[in-house]
Amino acid sequence: MSSVRPSTATDLPAPVRTISAPFHVDYTYVAGVGRSVYLRGMAERRFLARRCPGCGQVYFPAPQHCARCLQVLDPPFEIPGTGAVSTFCIVNLPFPGQLVEPPYVVAYINLDGTGNKLQHRVLEVAPGDVAVGMQVEPVWTDDDRLEPSLASVRYFRPADPALRDGGHDA
Amino acid sequence: MSTSLTAPYTTAFDFERTVGPRIGVFLAGLRERRLLGVRGSRGRVLCPVAEFDPVTAEATGDYVELDPVGTVTAWTWVDPRPADPLDSPFAWALVRIDGADDSFFHRVDTGGDPSLLSSGLRVRVRWAAETVGSIEDIVCFEPVTDDEPSGSAPSGSAP
Repeated sequence: MSSVRPSTATDLPAPVRTISAPFHVDYTYVAGVGRSVYLRGMAERRFLARRCPGCGQVYFPAPQHCARCLQVLDPPFEIPGTGAVSTFCIVNLPFPGQLVEPPYVVAYINLDGTGNKLQHRVLEVAPGDVAVGMQVEPVWTDDDRLEPSLASVRYFRPADPALRDGGHDA
Repeated sequence: MSTSLTAPYTTAFDFERTVGPRIGVFLAGLRERRLLGVRGSRGRVLCPVAEFDPVTAEATGDYVELDPVGTVTAWTWVDPRPADPLDSPFAWALVRIDGADDSFFHRVDTGGDPSLLSSGLRVRVRWAAETVGSIEDIVCFEPVTDDEPSGSAPSGSAP
């Protein structure tokens, strides 16, 4: 007995074109001993940086070990959180979970006193007025929204009040 | 200050993807509660349908209609996860569909009892109450009971 039967093309169904194939992973993020230092600082409105005793590089956020010479970084110290725009882009596309209505600026910021860059939004300024080298300062959340996360910094804005447009408040 | 912070995270993307024209016919068949196979370039019958022969990489040929009955060739016992349609523990198994030359990877439900499972167990498809054209139109395979034929008689004229 064979259970295989020839099937002519005429009785075949029209093909399905696409299927839903959602990707969903629930997991636990482990910040690590080093990065937990800066995260705890965020909950206290403090920018806690760390310096490498070997090469002098200053990190914010800081890992536990220097990325260049692998030495354990020195104890944390506070930096003001001000900096200069290193490079930036204007976000024009909406996407799920977006916190600010486009268009808005996302920049890499050279934080004063550090040797690495931090990515964050730059608001309270028309996107077209943002420039490389622009001095910026952090804007914190309200006290009841502070948490051990970079989200405690809502955004950066021009340090010079004259450069702010005041109209794009996240 | 020396301990690490942790936080729950979720990464999710609502992907929609194309399936290929031949797999698309296979999935559309499932919507009609039909199990289709396809002939590979070496004459072997592949079920589930593949776009290309897994050995020669040539495009597969004619479709064949298969009875939704087969034999377990290998299995592993698992607890259900939240996304699984079965409430009790079940097996992920390779099932060789009657008339096919390869294996179909799917769930086998023995009502939560692993002692009822063995290589060689005869199983049949349990269809979803509502079919949509997805591999999940097959909820699982389940044991063929003694009081039913292990496969319906061929209805076509081919021997």
